[in-house]
Amino acid sequence: MKLFEHYELYTPYALLLLLLMPILAIWLYRHRYNERAKFLYSDVKSFGGFKTLKNKMIPILASLLLLALTLTAIGIARPRSVDVTAKTKKTKGIDIMLAVDVSASMLARDLKPNRLEALKKTAINFIKKRPNDRFGVVLYAGEAFTQVPITSDQRIVMQAIRKINFRQLFNQLEQGTAIGMGLATAVNRLKDSKAKSKVIILMTDGVNNTGEIDPYTALELAKEFGIKVYTIGLGTNGYAPTPVAVNPDGSFVYRNAKVEIDENLLKKIASETGGKYFRATDNSKLNKIYKEIDKLEKTEIKETKYYNYKELYRPFVLIAIGLIFIVGLLRYTWMKSFV
Amino acid sequence: MTTKDILKKVRKIEIKTKRLSDHIFGGEYHSSFKGRGMTFSEVRPYAYGDDVRNIDWNVTARYRTPFIKVFEEERELTMMLAVDISGSQWFGTRGQLKREMITEMVATLAFSATQNNDKVGLVLYSDDIELFIPPQKGRSHVLRIIRELIDFTPKHTRTDTSMALKFLYNVLKKKAIVFLISDFIDENYEDTLKIVGKKHDLTGIMVYDPMEKDMPDLGLVTMKDLETGKQTFVDTSNKQVRRTHNANFLRRQDYFKKSFQKSGSGVIWVATNGSYIKKMLQYFKARS
Repeated sequence: MKLFEHYELYTPYALLLLLLMPILAIWLYRHRYNERAKFLYSDVKSFGGFKTLKNKMIPILASLLLLALTLTAIGIARPRSVDVTAKTKKTKGIDIMLAVDVSASMLARDLKPNRLEALKKTAINFIKKRPNDRFGVVLYAGEAFTQVPITSDQRIVMQAIRKINFRQLFNQLEQGTAIGMGLATAVNRLKDSKAKSKVIILMTDGVNNTGEIDPYTALELAKEFGIKVYTIGLGTNGYAPTPVAVNPDGSFVYRNAKVEIDENLLKKIASETGGKYFRATDNSKLNKIYKEIDKLEKTEIKETKYYNYKELYRPFVLIAIGLIFIVGLLRYTWMKSFV
Repeated sequence: MTTKDILKKVRKIEIKTKRLSDHIFGGEYHSSFKGRGMTFSEVRPYAYGDDVRNIDWNVTARYRTPFIKVFEEERELTMMLAVDISGSQWFGTRGQLKREMITEMVATLAFSATQNNDKVGLVLYSDDIELFIPPQKGRSHVLRIIRELIDFTPKHTRTDTSMALKFLYNVLKKKAIVFLISDFIDENYEDTLKIVGKKHDLTGIMVYDPMEKDMPDLGLVTMKDLETGKQTFVDTSNKQVRRTHNANFLRRQDYFKKSFQKSGSGVIWVATNGSYIKKMLQYFKARS
């Protein structure tokens, strides 16, 4: 059906006329002798019943006529090719920077299977839903780096998120939670963006305890560049199994620790930049949060589709007219009857 | 056709053909078909050149002038007209149908017969005997024959000459003068003809239309057979088709002539645009 993908019929009901063709064919066959004046002759046998070329042409002419009518019916159905030069005006989306905390506490198991994995999954779903936006990823712990600069290639972004490997990062990065650094790095990436709306989704599960830039300075920066910051606090209320030490073999020792989130800071960042603060205590909550952000950052998609129609009835009708002309011409010249 | 029309037509044919049979035909017919034996008819005064042996002495003595006895042929002949009225008779391209021409011919023959005091009967046949009028004398009988010829509608359309001949053989006990008038678009009547030809004085008259002999180029024609009702497209512009048609006609005509002559019967063939009187006169002259 690939062939017909770009073709359509404007009045497909006209094809119902094709149902009449067999009836017409039968009618033509039944009345084949009535078309011409009949010559009542005393002894038809004596002509020997030869089938000359003209005799053979009679059914051919009839079929040509039927073919012409078929083509006409198709012509009436108005076939046309559709060339959708769609999405010519791709809506400019917004730029979203995901700032993800990858400190050791993100392995806490209050979200399933742990905070980081839950986050990764939700973030990917979120990206999938917003095909017109550009995304970037900033990871931070004791220090921050840009995993993916802002890009419209969402596949790369999703892949990068999927590939976040805590253990690798654990070895590379300084320990701690430098919210300020994370935010500042994200801001840095967004500052040159020309998008209508610039958004940072800042996720953390702790308190700013290290870093060269303190969160308030980062906040000022964000405000400076007109960046909206949504903040998400991850972690249940109370206690959660959190890695507290590393075994000699590299595995973590889990102990219930009190969940500490600097909610005041996050709320402040959110409110001052025009964003919102959310608290995700479990997986479903986290999902909801992303859905809400999705709603809040609704970009109006103005998609203008240009349909370029090319009417194709012409060849059908022209061939039909040609056929009828040929049939008529033969009928009244070469195959004429003087009776 | 209303009765009035029929009568009008019958009258027309009567006038036309009676004149023919009186003036041109009568004598030829009379001498062509001879009866058997002589009967006394009258006495008349002797004229120079009469055979003296026929002088009636009794009358001569009474009147004192020579009188002579006149004998006449004993004519109690039966003429049977067998006419093919199958579908093919409804064809004709030269001003009249074959059937119309046949009607005139039959009328002429019938009037000639009554004039010579012969009985006339009629058989109309197709592939069945459609009508049989037993032989009778008289003008009104001839008029009835003509009326039937004009108005009779046959039930069948095909031709079976052999069957008609068998019927003539069975229905006529005595020897009769039989005219079989048809277009002879038929086959396999030769054997029957041999038998019937021995019993009766048979003459076959083949009536055909010139177009049946030479079909002109009419282009691609839808033809309907008058006898079978079958329809076909015939390409008359094709030379081979026309040649075959002509060959078939000639073969048919040849078969007609040969089979009649073989059985000792006479043949006349006449086209619808030809003169049947001429042909018949020729025939009668050749006979007598």
